[in-house]
Amino acid sequence: MEGTGPTKPATRKTAANGARGWVDEKRGLVDREAFVSDEVYKLEFERIFDRTWMYLAHESEIPAPGDYVVRTLGSAPVIVVRAANGAIHANLNSCRHRGTKLCRADMGTAAHFVCPYHGWSYEHDGRLITTTFDRHFPDGTDFSQLHLIAVPRVESYQGLIFGSWNPDVIDLPRHLGQFRSYLDAFFGRTPLGMQVLAPPHRWRVKANWKVGALNFIGDSQHVVTTHIGPLTLDPLRAASKGLAKVADESFQVFTDAGHGATLSYLPGSVPDGEYQSYTPELERLYEQTLAPAQRELLRRLRVIVGNVFPNLSFIESQAGPGEKAVILRLWHPISGTEMEVLSWVFCEREASAGYKERVLRMGYRNFGAAGLFEQDDMELWASGADASNNRIAKQFPWGFQTALRFLAKPESSNKWPGRIYRPADTEAAQFEFMRHWDKMMRANA
Amino acid sequence: MTDDPTNGHVADRDYVEIQRFLYREASLLDHRQYDAWLGLLTDDVSYRVAQQIVRDAQTGNLDYAIVDEDAVALRARVAQIANPKLTHAENPASFIRRFVSNFQPTRGGSQDEFAVESNVLVYKGRTTIPEGRIYVGERRDVLRRVGGALRLARRDVRLDHAILFDGVVSTIF
Repeated sequence: MEGTGPTKPATRKTAANGARGWVDEKRGLVDREAFVSDEVYKLEFERIFDRTWMYLAHESEIPAPGDYVVRTLGSAPVIVVRAANGAIHANLNSCRHRGTKLCRADMGTAAHFVCPYHGWSYEHDGRLITTTFDRHFPDGTDFSQLHLIAVPRVESYQGLIFGSWNPDVIDLPRHLGQFRSYLDAFFGRTPLGMQVLAPPHRWRVKANWKVGALNFIGDSQHVVTTHIGPLTLDPLRAASKGLAKVADESFQVFTDAGHGATLSYLPGSVPDGEYQSYTPELERLYEQTLAPAQRELLRRLRVIVGNVFPNLSFIESQAGPGEKAVILRLWHPISGTEMEVLSWVFCEREASAGYKERVLRMGYRNFGAAGLFEQDDMELWASGADASNNRIAKQFPWGFQTALRFLAKPESSNKWPGRIYRPADTEAAQFEFMRHWDKMMRANA
Repeated sequence: MTDDPTNGHVADRDYVEIQRFLYREASLLDHRQYDAWLGLLTDDVSYRVAQQIVRDAQTGNLDYAIVDEDAVALRARVAQIANPKLTHAENPASFIRRFVSNFQPTRGGSQDEFAVESNVLVYKGRTTIPEGRIYVGERRDVLRRVGGALRLARRDVRLDHAILFDGVVSTIF
């Protein structure tokens, strides 16, 4: 029986021989080191996080000139700010002089960034204005070199601001690739687009960041056992409205750049131009904005979960009858066995104030820092890390066996890009994610 | 019986009754006697919990809700953690101990209501957090006299946390 014995008691793959990888493609297994090891965690920075695009903020969080938020990009604190001309800049939140944080708050509005230690001050774009003791510097000092340490690449897609510490990273649209078609349907489906409704819920959980990404790219198998509470109590009255049923054409999708999603459909059919579980005030805007295939994606959608590689996830779920909350989720790595989670609720800018308020409250009721679904996920993720981070358990891999039969036969669609897997309750998308992660970890060794 | 100006003109007998109510209510929650606790709420109770995002002192921190429930939603939230078959977060049950202090009642908007500020410190321990965690926050309650007895009509909890350090909140404050 596969996965019942140690894979390699004598040849445990550690970070040192990581070139061989952590994923056993033939048997659908992944070395537990990948989910607990601090060595692997450190390698992830070299091989993934410092090389690729990472999420910073949404443009709606910093609507006016001078508005800023402080976020962490990979391992480093970064100020994301809107300049007077509307441009968005991201710079290391650390003075060039003695390293002090320029912003010690997590959000605010600033005309300039003035270091509280010795008074060095900077423009929004990071240019040094003065050290206050310029006159004592050596003759010929080039003060333009004392710019804040800039995130070399900052780009937005559908208002989602990403940064990269890699100046040579491919352009963001190419990084997002085919997955843009899916992102559009959730973050760019009305003329004005989406907005963040409140600051992010923030919490830490003692589990590896990839557990979050895997859960959101498509872990249909955990839903009933983990979430028996809210499914039984049914605060959304989903069962009585038939929202718990899933149609056979539900699918998982994975794209070459490592992004993927699971889309669960409601059974039945809807006439052209109609939607089964959205709100009429917004549906006509979807009709104006989205391509026909993207609209079709939404017509009978019950729930989508997805992940933008490496650690940006989202879920759109029912917030109430005819109400949909889009929740964006960053799984920020803290160690091999800890992450910090940031969770934002989104809504269409065009929606009424009352709709936004309901979507916000219902969104975080289920998925947030006190979420009725979330609380059981976090408990079980932490317990999995706790029990796996030891010499004995690490000899036994984690299982993704229900991916194997399906990975061999992806479907393609003339409507939707990427490799499509059916049924939607296999581990195909999750194992694709791990294979992609493993490929990057090996390629950049 | 004279009103004490230092506690917002609440008569001593009311002060004692409010104190007794808050301690009883905390004890019921500590012992997971949720049905009895729900019995202390008004039919129109609302319950909100906020965390804070740190801003400059001139502006002040912004608090924003992580829980915002009406009576129906609060009962569903409690039903989940009260039933061992419906929760993993609270099965096994967390070690929970509430410490309520610094309470200051004042007369509320109507004659039968009191506004009560209090500090709350909640210890939580689990097998996944053997060292334990502490939540600290400020509560603003509205207590209402219904049929002669005090009932909780509103609770607004502002946690003194920008980051919650133990997964997500499955505790009632």
